[in-house]
Amino acid sequence: MSDRSDMSDQPDLHPPEIKTIMETTKLKTASVPEVDFSKAHEMQPYLREPDQMYVGAPGKHGYLKLRFALDKDGKSILREIDRRVPLIAQQELYFDKEMPEMPCLYILSSGGPNVDGDRYQQDIIVEKDAFGWVSTGAATKLAEMKYNYSGMIQNIVLEEGAYLEFMPEPVFPCRHTRFICDTRLSVHPTATVFYSEIYMGGRKYYGDGEMFDYDILSVCSHGERPDGEQLFREKFVIDPAKLDPRQLGVMGKFEIFANVIVVTPKENADKIYAETPATLDRERMLATGITTLPNDAGLLFKVLGNDTGLVKKTIREFCSRVRMAVKGKPLPEEFPWR
Amino acid sequence: MSTRTEKNKETPADTGARFRSIMHLLQFTDSTFPVGTFSFSNGLETASFEKVVHDADTLREFVASQAVQAAFSDGVAAIQSHRAYLRGDYDAIAAADAALYRFKMNAEARLMLQRMGKKLAELSSHLFESPLITRWLKEIKDEKVPGTYPVGQGMAYAAAGVDEKEMFCAHQYGVINMVLSAALRCVRVSHYDTQKILFDLAARAESLYEEAARMNVDDMNAFFPQLDILASLHEKGNMRMFMN
Repeated sequence: MSDRSDMSDQPDLHPPEIKTIMETTKLKTASVPEVDFSKAHEMQPYLREPDQMYVGAPGKHGYLKLRFALDKDGKSILREIDRRVPLIAQQELYFDKEMPEMPCLYILSSGGPNVDGDRYQQDIIVEKDAFGWVSTGAATKLAEMKYNYSGMIQNIVLEEGAYLEFMPEPVFPCRHTRFICDTRLSVHPTATVFYSEIYMGGRKYYGDGEMFDYDILSVCSHGERPDGEQLFREKFVIDPAKLDPRQLGVMGKFEIFANVIVVTPKENADKIYAETPATLDRERMLATGITTLPNDAGLLFKVLGNDTGLVKKTIREFCSRVRMAVKGKPLPEEFPWR
Repeated sequence: MSTRTEKNKETPADTGARFRSIMHLLQFTDSTFPVGTFSFSNGLETASFEKVVHDADTLREFVASQAVQAAFSDGVAAIQSHRAYLRGDYDAIAAADAALYRFKMNAEARLMLQRMGKKLAELSSHLFESPLITRWLKEIKDEKVPGTYPVGQGMAYAAAGVDEKEMFCAHQYGVINMVLSAALRCVRVSHYDTQKILFDLAARAESLYEEAARMNVDDMNAFFPQLDILASLHEKGNMRMFMN
């Protein structure tokens, strides 16, 4: 608590002449939208410019645009890719054994973990009747931060009949991490998006352990129709100094939290809901819950666990049910090295 | 209220208003008020069945989580609605109502808020004249607005002359007392335990209010996955003692 409140009062390490040079020569990452959360209520203590590389500097402002579309033969392909470092996506691969027509893509970051003052934007568009699977190559680490925060905006747009499975690897916050993410899901009434996130409590075995030592995680995901009709808005702000995530009712004795949003037509949602139990498994320390989103937008699935592999497996099983309801096919077995 | 007394400039009319507002506050929070604090168990039944809540200590944590969850969602909407009512700004009332509905990630919670909201609007219309509440009730019936309880609470309390802080206390009291009343029937605790928890949690209301009062409806947030999963177990389960 005291660490972060002291930050804004810390002396500026740069002498004025160096600071002036830095101010006047600030290059911004070219032709990408600004990512700014300075208006967010919960980020107010973390707005100081880092002493190291400034906010939004090239290399610190990643951008990725992915557009899936059907080609003239009706094959779903990655039609467009636009990127700025440190975000990287290579070409789509067709490695899904159960759905060989599925273009699969890994998002990578060449910059290592998210650091102080990083900004990211990921735009994923799935055109009419196209489909795709997107994940990350490895877990996303959110480094220890001292001055500013790391922020990310995601725009995920699904056109008529489109289908997307977005299933990244877990996110690891470190000590004093500040991370904010805003995800807009714009989904046509006939389309389906499976959007999952896994948040670890921290690096359990680093030093004496860093469980829930981060400063803040603020995650907002909201859904809308292409005409702008707002469907739902979920926001969670975890500030362990204010409320211990280990409190009963928050996460209790669990350390890993996963959230899955499925926006899908009501008939799919009803079927998946009926097939998905809510569970509390004390032996394996795994709890799952499912409910419906407001405005018949789809489903919300939550998982608490202590074993990453088990949490990921649970998410894949749920995704398999979603894929079965929408595409009539299951998810393949996970690769043994994942 | 306290500032008026401190300044010692209270006119007889002010005194009359103060007496009335205290009476209304007590009336609205009483368990005999048809939409006051009655027995919705908020997942407690499942928490008790699953032995997650099994004594006074676990009950205290569970209730504390419920109180924070409510403060930064329902509480924020109620405050915004209260302020909008005093400004005569119906659009802001409708916006807070829709925003809260979009934020409620649980089908049973949405149903409960809507049932209670409509009931409160009907009862308020019976108790006093208020064009804003009359319009809200009509739009609930026309399905133009969802009609959530905290938004109705904001309006009713504002109309009754109860200020925003006192309304927030009533809201917190309502949530805490609702869970504790249910606990008497499904957790092994005594009246002494539940009253002690209620008494102690009163100390937290001020800081929750300070934060909720600075938020707008876009800032509403909640991170209580364990409560969400318990609610889901309840929604999916067969055993139920309360109408949650």
